[in-house]
Amino acid sequence: MTGFSGGIIEALPYLFAFFVGAMIPRRQGWAERVGIGVVGVLAVAFVMGLWPEAADAEATQAVTRADEWPQLLNVIVFLPIVGAVAILFAPRQNPKLLRAMTMGILAADFLISLGLLRANMTTGWHFQYVTEWLPTFGIRYHVAIDGISLWMVLLSTVTTPIAALVSFGSIKKRTKDLCFAMLLLHGGMLGAFVSLDLFLFYVFWELMLIPMVILIGVWGGVEKIKAAYKFLLFTMAGSVLMLAAILYMVWAHRQAAGFVTFDYLAMSNLVLPRTAATLCFIAFAFAFVVKVPMWPLHTWLPDAHVQAPTGGSIILAAVLLKLGTYGYVRFCMGMLGGPAYDRAATLAGVAVGGGILYGALCAWKQTDVKRLVAYSSVAHMGFVMLGLFAATTSGIKGALLTMINHGIATGALFLLVGVIYDRRHTRLVSEFGGLAKVMPVYAAVFVIVTMASIGVPGTNGFVGEFMVIVGTFVSSALGRHGSIQAVLATFGVILAAVYMLSVVQKMFFGPITNKRNENLPDMNVRETLAVAPLVALIFVLGLFPSLVLDTMDSSVAHVIDKYNSGRDSHRGNTIDELRLLNPSPKGDDPTSYDHNYPVPPKSDDDESANAASRPLSTAVALGQGVSRGVAR
Amino acid sequence: MFDLYLPMFLMFAIAAGVAAGMFSLGQFVGKNPQSAEKLTPFECGNDTEGAGNVRLSVKFYLTAILFVVFDIEVVFIYPWAALFKGLGWVGFASMLMFVVALLVALVYCWKKGALEWEK
Amino acid sequence: MDLVIALSPLLAVGFGGLMLMLAEAFGKPSEEGISKTTGDVVDAGAGRGAELGLGASVVLIAGAVMAVGVWIVGPETLEGVADVAPYLLIDRFSLFFTFVLCLGGAFTALLGGGYLPEHRIDRSEFFPLVLFSTFGAIALAMSGDLLSLFVGLETMSLGVYCLIGLRRGSARATEAALKYFLLGSFAAALTLFGAALLYGATGHTDLVGIGEAVATIGQPDSTVAAMPVLLALALTLAGLGFKVAAVPFHQWTPDAYEGAPTPATAFMAAVVKTAAFAILLRVLLVGFGEERLMSWGTGWPPVIATLAVLSMTVGNVVAGRQESVKRMLAYSSIAHAGVALVGVAATIRSTEDATASVLFYLLVYTVSTAGAFGALILCGSRGAEAVSYEDLAGIAKRHPAAALAFSLFLLSLAGFPPTAGFFGKLYVFQSAIDSELYVLVIIGLVNSLIGAYYYVRVMVYMYMREPVPGAPVAKPMSSGMVTSAIVLAALLVLGLGILPGVSLDMAIAAAARGG
Repeated sequence: MTGFSGGIIEALPYLFAFFVGAMIPRRQGWAERVGIGVVGVLAVAFVMGLWPEAADAEATQAVTRADEWPQLLNVIVFLPIVGAVAILFAPRQNPKLLRAMTMGILAADFLISLGLLRANMTTGWHFQYVTEWLPTFGIRYHVAIDGISLWMVLLSTVTTPIAALVSFGSIKKRTKDLCFAMLLLHGGMLGAFVSLDLFLFYVFWELMLIPMVILIGVWGGVEKIKAAYKFLLFTMAGSVLMLAAILYMVWAHRQAAGFVTFDYLAMSNLVLPRTAATLCFIAFAFAFVVKVPMWPLHTWLPDAHVQAPTGGSIILAAVLLKLGTYGYVRFCMGMLGGPAYDRAATLAGVAVGGGILYGALCAWKQTDVKRLVAYSSVAHMGFVMLGLFAATTSGIKGALLTMINHGIATGALFLLVGVIYDRRHTRLVSEFGGLAKVMPVYAAVFVIVTMASIGVPGTNGFVGEFMVIVGTFVSSALGRHGSIQAVLATFGVILAAVYMLSVVQKMFFGPITNKRNENLPDMNVRETLAVAPLVALIFVLGLFPSLVLDTMDSSVAHVIDKYNSGRDSHRGNTIDELRLLNPSPKGDDPTSYDHNYPVPPKSDDDESANAASRPLSTAVALGQGVSRGVAR
Repeated sequence: MFDLYLPMFLMFAIAAGVAAGMFSLGQFVGKNPQSAEKLTPFECGNDTEGAGNVRLSVKFYLTAILFVVFDIEVVFIYPWAALFKGLGWVGFASMLMFVVALLVALVYCWKKGALEWEK
Repeated sequence: MDLVIALSPLLAVGFGGLMLMLAEAFGKPSEEGISKTTGDVVDAGAGRGAELGLGASVVLIAGAVMAVGVWIVGPETLEGVADVAPYLLIDRFSLFFTFVLCLGGAFTALLGGGYLPEHRIDRSEFFPLVLFSTFGAIALAMSGDLLSLFVGLETMSLGVYCLIGLRRGSARATEAALKYFLLGSFAAALTLFGAALLYGATGHTDLVGIGEAVATIGQPDSTVAAMPVLLALALTLAGLGFKVAAVPFHQWTPDAYEGAPTPATAFMAAVVKTAAFAILLRVLLVGFGEERLMSWGTGWPPVIATLAVLSMTVGNVVAGRQESVKRMLAYSSIAHAGVALVGVAATIRSTEDATASVLFYLLVYTVSTAGAFGALILCGSRGAEAVSYEDLAGIAKRHPAAALAFSLFLLSLAGFPPTAGFFGKLYVFQSAIDSELYVLVIIGLVNSLIGAYYYVRVMVYMYMREPVPGAPVAKPMSSGMVTSAIVLAALLVLGLGILPGVSLDMAIAAAARGG
């Protein structure tokens, strides 16, 4: 019986392909439908034939905890991606169906992701799933979450449906493309948050680039194409550098350990030569800092935000920017702690001066509300980066919390700006005044969100920024500059109050100065529905931040461990030594954080297997030295 | 190294000498009847005066190139014939393939009308 | 019998070509075809493009399947293979290339079957020529001797010269064909000159013998002079550099690519380039694979590296400035040759990995570029061809599927994951890092940034711009053959990108046996 039902399950993909093929629209004859169905089956058979043998089911079994379903992350990540492909086959002429499908998929994804909360976030990695992808290259499909990525995943699954809901209200043309881009973007972001293999991470990192470019470029404002290019080229430049660093680290790991792998843990045990480590750090940090963005690489952000449609802005601000900071925590601090420590003080100066203060001053001078919110993002992300550079427990936790808060508050602000833009098709502050009289609900919500963005106690913004500032004071990484930077950052909080409150005052209070504003309708059901969860979250996280903070404890401690050991080994390292920190971490010790981390298998094809700790020229030279001449 | 190539230089020198000798011999030994026919430049049936770019029918070229193609290909049969015994059946089979390919080409030219002079 | 099995892909393509020629000669021109030919003379077989294209693609796919079959049987187990060595080497290296070349040829045939009738240049010689040219390309990839190398090179090139000039009435096509013919003959002459010098210096025409003779240079009892060998190396590199369109031997490329009918352009970009890389690898690794010639100071690696840097940079920078999509693709093919040359340069240390990376890259490139030209064909129809960027404006609304497919191939060419192009590029750069060619990798990565700009520019026009009112726009055509070629290429692009395992293992096995 099991054989029979197993056979059914194995045949499912083929049946699915057959039906999808046969249902393709605009085909009349049955013979053609059957033919295309058969082609679909053959295509699936081709792909299935390429799939590596599932010999490592036992390996996955070994690394998952008893109460966690190992496929959960796969479902969360691939539901939107498969949904995006399914959207391609839905009829273009029926936007209602497309919207319903998209919302259904996103809502389902959100509900499934709530399952992640059921786990007890103790030490170690959760919901792991690992399988060989390209064994020849040491590339694995390895996804897992810890206390850090858990919240990033939830942030995305909460905000993307909201963004989609908002978009469907204001965007009426080319719904199919919109749904496709949204779903693909969502899948790419989730995948990047949960990948623990550098190759896999890079694939997801790049996968979300094109949908975002499409979102900006197709439904954006007047200057949309320029903004789309700017976004593309900035991000691409970063990721190209990151790719170079990944390739170098993989090669260095092969030199040191004798086998090829793209595994995160293996890389974090690698001690690179000093120059190489610094170069790799710069490459990684560049990729992430562009995404954050930090001054002076922030210039794409205001353009992208102003031109992007509301839904795109929400995703961009709430989730996409977090990928930069998340990447910094996970990869720069986790793998390259040494150079990260060396450069922390300088970078923190940039974060304070260029991010917090400069961003706030720029925001103050903006006349366009959306641009103002965009610059306020630069300032808030400056706080996040400052907390990360400080690398103290409270600094990192504060930074992570600020990431979540910023996602919620700025997402809500963009949503609200979108509401007024849909009514008046302008976002200039000078066009408004006295809106509180005609749109009382809208004004109330706007004020609440503004409070959260400023960081008034009781709202979520306060806790995170407070923890960052406290963490900066006591940071050893920032040395004697830490206290100065903390003080300057506090000025940033005041500036935030200045620019946000002044714009609220100009737009909502006082007499109605513009006749056209007299009969504006208040928020409708769709908009209220979209903003309500965000407002609720503002208070929940403001009053009970420990809900989030407690689950992070062990993960943050782990990051700091890795950071410190990276710092120590980097200090102790000579200029051209390449070695492993603690070769082959054992999975036996249940107290160690990585006790259930599946160690990458050693492929045996290498001749350099016994060449561990070989000195290595760090001179970046075009090839190898000159040998004897052929021509006499 | 030069002594290696010396025979070649010698051959070139002798060939040039013979050619030059022949010409000059004719000049010295032969009679020199001056007639109008003799004084016209060398010709091969074309008018010596008129436009330089006379348009000829493409048929001439086609025939010429087909002749060259088949002629050259037939040349390959000579070395095969010389080594017929040594190559054996494998050689025979490969030559057969070659001839078949030639035959197909011939049929192709025929059907395409390349061999028809008047159309 | 062994030999027939081993040579079956080559024989299938050759005999298929002969049969197709007969079919064309005896075929009756279709009524429709007569009205569709521009030529003043109605040929036999005119207007039969669709049928002949299908036949040619079936033959070529059969050739690819046979190559896979011989691969599975294992060329080592076939004893008859030794009879034709070194003129034709049937090893895993050449079988891999046979597969790729047949695949590229099959794409060309399918595209031609749709393109030629649509644009009323339904001259049925196209398909036999494609087959014979592919035959020459396979022979070139298999050759292990200078004689068969030259024969293969010329067989391949002669067909391509004619393919380019297919549109007889057009001045551009004639110019393109003449340009390619003159420069191509010159390059072939250079290669021949190099071969003659090599024979003079070493007394061998087979690459293995040449390699052994070259290895004796510098030993006290050696009779091989270094100077002619180096000169021959330079000449051979120039000749093959012409065929792969590496800068500075690239001048003919944009004109020839633009003037040729688009399927012929796809053929040049995919098949000719791949075959030239096959023989380039074989010549360099076998003929000049001696340790000193493969070292950085005294051999060909710096030359190859320079060619790679120039090709990538010039190709990408100039491609970014083009206004015609076809010309842009032409320049991008130059840039791709540069990336593959990075892999060739990387053979100096991690020989097998680097060779495998070039093989895989060429497979990926063949599929992506054939798909891109196919999508370009699909986007245009007679009188409303897709040539410039403006022609493509807003095509995502008029034909969403074509725009999506085109985007997929462009992303693959630009090297975005999860398409095949990404993995191909990654593998090449990884092997270059293994050989410590860091600067090449950095330049390559910066170039892929430039590349992303102009590939995405096409997408920007397709998705984000509306056509200027009154301006001519491309009207998508409909053709089952072009569509099937695109679907096949798209499946391969995604399949090779997400699950490259099998093909990668094949490339690695091919690199281990060849070279």
